[in-house]
Amino acid sequence: MSLVELKNVVKRYGENTVLNGVSLTVEKGEIIAIIGRSGSGKSTMLRCVNGLEPIQGGTVAFNGTVVNDPATDLRKLRQHVGIVFQSFNLFPHLSVEKNITLAPKVVKGVPPAEARALAEAVLRKVGLVEKIEAYPDQLSGGQQQRVAIARSLAMQPQLMLFDEITSALDPELVGEVLKVLEEVAREGMTMMLVTHEIGFARKVANRVVFMHEGKIWEEGPAAKTLGSPRTPELETFLSAVLH
Amino acid sequence: MIRELSFIDVLYLIAAARWTLALTAIAFLGGGIVGLAIALLRVSSLLPLRWLGAIYVHAVQGTPLLAWLFVFFFGLSIFGFTVSPWLAAAAAYSIYAGAFLGEIWRGCLQAIPRTQWEAGASLGLGFTQQLRYVIVPQALRLAIPPTVGFLVQLIKNTSLAAVIGFIELTREGQLTTATTFRPFTVYLIVAAIYFALCFPLTQWSRRLERRLHVAR
Repeated sequence: MSLVELKNVVKRYGENTVLNGVSLTVEKGEIIAIIGRSGSGKSTMLRCVNGLEPIQGGTVAFNGTVVNDPATDLRKLRQHVGIVFQSFNLFPHLSVEKNITLAPKVVKGVPPAEARALAEAVLRKVGLVEKIEAYPDQLSGGQQQRVAIARSLAMQPQLMLFDEITSALDPELVGEVLKVLEEVAREGMTMMLVTHEIGFARKVANRVVFMHEGKIWEEGPAAKTLGSPRTPELETFLSAVLH
Repeated sequence: MIRELSFIDVLYLIAAARWTLALTAIAFLGGGIVGLAIALLRVSSLLPLRWLGAIYVHAVQGTPLLAWLFVFFFGLSIFGFTVSPWLAAAAAYSIYAGAFLGEIWRGCLQAIPRTQWEAGASLGLGFTQQLRYVIVPQALRLAIPPTVGFLVQLIKNTSLAAVIGFIELTREGQLTTATTFRPFTVYLIVAAIYFALCFPLTQWSRRLERRLHVAR
């Protein structure tokens, strides 16, 4: 069984069809890069996987659980599916430690001492242990995003979704976040990442998915798909982003 | 029975202010409970609940407080219920303050970006956990200045309770005027007492506002 299975997913906002029959499977341990112009539906697709976006047609399944089934306990599902957002979305009123330990404590019932150790462990992974007492507004964008990754890791998810996580960063801060991402990838995490960093996608992803007009236009092994695009749309897109 | 305005009258006025404060406290407490419920209804994910909250707010904000006082004090007695002024005032003020506080707090809850809810939900927090740990602590900081502002309005609006027999500050002023025929002086004193109650609150609110601004 695949870890993630999207079948003919349709998503509409009123008259506007954002996803028009998207099918995709992700195996455990795979790293999928999702590329495409803005408005092509890539972020929306990602947000369907953890049920942040309700869908109008098709099915989304995670580990055999149908995400879009109203009977599915999304809270339970989301404990296993982490997501990191473009705008970090840290909790501004909580310290870095509390940002990380909130969900483990409240959702999983991890005792405080253990939660603190957990926070230290994930912060070590993203290289920010010394910021454990800091508040989000005392951190740079890159640091905030690394904390957001750590917060997500602390739930020990089976799948991580990354939604354009470097797009809101100053150029000089992108590198540190990508480095952390690579580190997470190396540890065997299953990842789906929407990204504009084509170079990074080529380097880290097993598979690249190119979305266009709400459909998966082209997909395949990263190097091959990015190296020799089959469709003129992907070719145009790549030449635009690579200048 | 006209007599001179004396210091003892001023003391009576100050003493009457304690009913003003008591009424304010009751109104704020009752209104706070109702307002919290209304605010939560208004941000609920269920449409019927949001409607219920909206209907309540519009109905109460569109009717005078005086009417509510009359309904509870005189209205219910027609049906054979004897309602004490305290109970009538508590009910009317709770209904009234609840609508306004509910709206203020709804605004504060909704001022917190949707992405904060999403971040909480994505970590597996349920609706009430998102509210409790993520949204309310942030909204609380926003809510303090407008809530104190409303509290000041409430202090002044307790004078309406005079119509159902409360001898609070304004009513005491009327009575004093009737015996002394010194309306200008008496009402000036009354105004000064209201000011003494309200001014520290507005100052406090302003200070809080400034501090929260810095903390942002």
